[in-house]
Amino acid sequence: MTTTMNHPAAAAGKSRTPIIERLNIVTAFALGAISAFVVWRLALQFLPADSEVRLFTREDKITLLSMIAWFVGFMTGIGALVAPFRWVMGKDLSHDENMFLAGKDMGIKRYFRYTTDHKVVGIQYLIITMVIFGIGGILAMLIRANLGTPEGGLIHPQAYNSIVGTHGIIMIVGTIIMVTGPIGNFIMPIMIGARDMAFPRLNALSFWLIVAAAIPLIWAQFIGGISTGWSAYNPLAGQAPLGMNGYIMFICIFALSTMVAGANITTTVVRMRAKGMTWNRTPIFIYGVVASVALALPAFPVFFLSQVMSGMDRALDTSFYNTAGGGSGWLYENLFWIMGHPEVYVILIPAVAALMEMAPVFTRRPLFSFNVAVMGIAGISGLSILVWAHHMYISGWAPLLNAPFMLTTELISIPTGMLFLVLVGTLWRGRLWMTMPTLSIFALLWNFMIGGITGIYLSDVPADAFLHGSMYVTAHFHYTLMGAGLTGALASLVYWFPKMTGRMFDKKLSWISFWMVQIGFNVTFGGMFIVGLQGQPRRVEAYAALFNRGNLITSIGAAVIMSGMLVLLYGVISSWRHGVVAPMNPWHAKTLEWTVANPIPLENFAVLPVVTSDPYGYGKEKK
Amino acid sequence: MTELKPSTKNKWWKHPDVKKTFIFWLIFTPAIGIFGTQFHVLSMPDPASEVMGGVIGLMRLFTWAAAPVAALVFAICATALTSSRHYGDNPPADADHQISNSPRANATWIVVSAMLCLFALVTGLVVLQKEGDALHEENAIHVNVTGQQWAWNYDYADGARSEVLYLPVDVPVVFHITSKDVKHSFWIVEMGIKMDANPGYTTETAVTPNKIGVFNVRCAELCGLLHAYMQNKVHVVSKADYEKWLADRSALEARS
Amino acid sequence: MSVETHSHNAHHEDPDVVGSRNRLGVILILVADIAFALSMVFVYFYLRAQNVNDMWLPKATEEHAAIVAVSSSKAWTVTAIAAVGLLTHFYALKGARAHNDVQLKLGSLIALIASITAIYFQYNTFVTAPFTFSDGAYVSCFYLFAVMNFVHLALTVFISFGNWNRARLGLYAANVWHVDIVNVWWVWMVVSSLLGAFCLSFP
Repeated sequence: MTTTMNHPAAAAGKSRTPIIERLNIVTAFALGAISAFVVWRLALQFLPADSEVRLFTREDKITLLSMIAWFVGFMTGIGALVAPFRWVMGKDLSHDENMFLAGKDMGIKRYFRYTTDHKVVGIQYLIITMVIFGIGGILAMLIRANLGTPEGGLIHPQAYNSIVGTHGIIMIVGTIIMVTGPIGNFIMPIMIGARDMAFPRLNALSFWLIVAAAIPLIWAQFIGGISTGWSAYNPLAGQAPLGMNGYIMFICIFALSTMVAGANITTTVVRMRAKGMTWNRTPIFIYGVVASVALALPAFPVFFLSQVMSGMDRALDTSFYNTAGGGSGWLYENLFWIMGHPEVYVILIPAVAALMEMAPVFTRRPLFSFNVAVMGIAGISGLSILVWAHHMYISGWAPLLNAPFMLTTELISIPTGMLFLVLVGTLWRGRLWMTMPTLSIFALLWNFMIGGITGIYLSDVPADAFLHGSMYVTAHFHYTLMGAGLTGALASLVYWFPKMTGRMFDKKLSWISFWMVQIGFNVTFGGMFIVGLQGQPRRVEAYAALFNRGNLITSIGAAVIMSGMLVLLYGVISSWRHGVVAPMNPWHAKTLEWTVANPIPLENFAVLPVVTSDPYGYGKEKK
Repeated sequence: MTELKPSTKNKWWKHPDVKKTFIFWLIFTPAIGIFGTQFHVLSMPDPASEVMGGVIGLMRLFTWAAAPVAALVFAICATALTSSRHYGDNPPADADHQISNSPRANATWIVVSAMLCLFALVTGLVVLQKEGDALHEENAIHVNVTGQQWAWNYDYADGARSEVLYLPVDVPVVFHITSKDVKHSFWIVEMGIKMDANPGYTTETAVTPNKIGVFNVRCAELCGLLHAYMQNKVHVVSKADYEKWLADRSALEARS
Repeated sequence: MSVETHSHNAHHEDPDVVGSRNRLGVILILVADIAFALSMVFVYFYLRAQNVNDMWLPKATEEHAAIVAVSSSKAWTVTAIAAVGLLTHFYALKGARAHNDVQLKLGSLIALIASITAIYFQYNTFVTAPFTFSDGAYVSCFYLFAVMNFVHLALTVFISFGNWNRARLGLYAANVWHVDIVNVWWVWMVVSSLLGAFCLSFP
């Protein structure tokens, strides 16, 4: 590996191309597919037949083994294993090889490789997030189509349940990565004045793990689907078709991705902030991103474990959740929600923090109460790991614990209120610069207020005994995750679009899509609140005639959201291709990412910046 | 509520924005309170038990408690939107102040939200206590509820079995709930009670129906293919009718 | 945000800076692994306390003999061997810090041997277990711990082989922090193994 490789294309023409340059998305898919096929054939041949106790154990083993083979093959093919093996062999990557991995002078090809440059990873994340939302949105429209009439019946119940489950889990994953993925990778290192992430290879790894995870989930759709909803409660998941193995693999690989990304982003922020960027000069968005990924760090391994045990129950016939063998469904619920509740704040916090970051820019005044904002983020993160059992008030697992969990849940409204205070405080006596992100701040306050208040009803045990498991809950969490979370993410997209693509996002299109999405959203989930209060359970494919009106409202609203999203998609594509070329700092903002030129050089800063104040110095000084 | 306004100079209440916000707040609070309670109460089914009446009352109470806070947030939004808007590709001039903190506003906000939180907690605990006591009612009738894909079965104390639930009016009932296969959730909609049916465990919940009529039982936890159809009726009848039905059922059971 | 600039050389960061950054990264990844291991402890004691259908350790029936928990001594043995590995690796680390090449190489080699021995013992525990997967909740947990420890030990073998190989090639002259980070992993390896052995001591 001593050849200098200033021009990789030239190097590729030589007789002996280094393996590191041969690997890309094609070799990854090829190797993944081949190893999955080989293992599948071998398993089919050599695995002994089942005992009579369980019918599907053998098929489960074969499916899981093939999926694991896919995973290993794919990660080998993309080049994730090169560096670890080189470390073991004592042949560390040279400087030129590292520059090759960073995608130096590679053009469009670097987006299809194990590229370590954080800006490439950010764009990769942006694309995959949009793909996920596209698929999830189509699935949502299928759900609404089936619920167009009380009898349902448009889609077979099994397929319907699978659509509901797949919509749920991929939207959860999509919303988890929607801010910390694209913005957190592309913008965050520049915002703190770093040349790249702390561990560039782990950065690439976290992205390609998501691609590797996606295939088992798609695979699952052809072998019975995920007919259990996104929560995949056991023992229902134990008796679900083979597609469940796809869910298990998907979660395990995705959990690895969040772990890697969490360690990477946290280390970057803790260790690599620019000189002079003390904690009280660090932009609030950075706090949001770190809180989010740091919260995911202890939460997702629990999910990972719950799925490992689910897989063992299926493939090896163990009894973690199987009550006949001494297992417990409550165990699954506990593990699932110990992950599940921090996870909603993993989604929410960076989106809200992004809007806090934009608020001073678009009100031309300092952020109100920076300290309270930090306290709010920290308080939510801390409390969120103590509230999981409010999802289990009526499961009967520990009635005596309902009161303490009601306490912790309601306590979380205090730090949440702090986030509201910061936002309204910043709006107070500001000069509003009306843009799509500005409107999004108001939309967030509106939606999050509704989501928050309905959350207080749900946190109350007696009210929850009526509302739990109804469409009311579905509407509530869409108000928080979509009404607040996605609103913040879309605003982030428009706000940082000039820096990420070098072009301005079309203003008219961003406004049109904003109003369509927000109005459609409130109609959709307003209708869903009504049917929930009337008593319609979640995840049903048919319903009593009583719920007709509310469901009709919801379906109409959903169509409006979809149209608004299509406008937004058109806006992304057209602005990216031939939008107005963006100046270096179109919003006249004061954070560091606006001090680098477009297009951003490979190492961001020729000379590293030194920070001397916080980035919120707007407003005229009082005489 | 107006002392929540952030300000650093004296006579902050004389600022025109404060007056504007206050007026918005005065309009928004009742608007949100009335709309919020009506939205919930009109959608929810008529209560068929005291528990459900309690749930409706609780939501009414919480909505009114939340209304002033929500109104304040929206009032500040409305003030901001009506005071200074700038359209265009270049930013407006900077705001005429540099307020970046207000300990007084922060403290008031946190104290008020803590008090509201405490209020919600205490209210919830009171109702919870009442429901806990209901499980130990001495003259209650006991019904074993068994969920299985995708139907409910009811076993009464004296050997009667049924696939449709019959209950006497004004008599406390304790349900002992379990499942044969996967997790279900036993929900009597109009009575406002719900409890999961877990395989391998028995859970309990209690209610006293206070209205004669036919109500709905639905499964509230995804339980497989026909989850949507796992619903049934509950008949609440007079005590005499109930005794008669029970005797018929027991006799039927004894014959078979 | 006011910005001043100062010159900086991008490609030659101080090894101490890089080392402390890497150390933090590894510790954060271990946070995730610790959460994983602690939830396994939760699983074990939850299922043990619930004893659903009296199937934690199934009683004898007409078809099956009663399931008896295996002695935890094997789990403790694996932990003890791993502890030896940790100690010798620490010895190697001290050697590296003192620029004592022989001590570094020797310690790394013994640590590697210890990890291989431990993984052999772990494998042995696994294959000689007197029950099958479907024999109740205790057995399920037993296999879960065995699998986790096996995976951890496999990683340890990989890492300690690399560590010894790098020591052998003399790559640690400038950046001792690699050895330090491997030590962090060894500590967690022993602690996680200890957690498993601790749980299995309460069948």
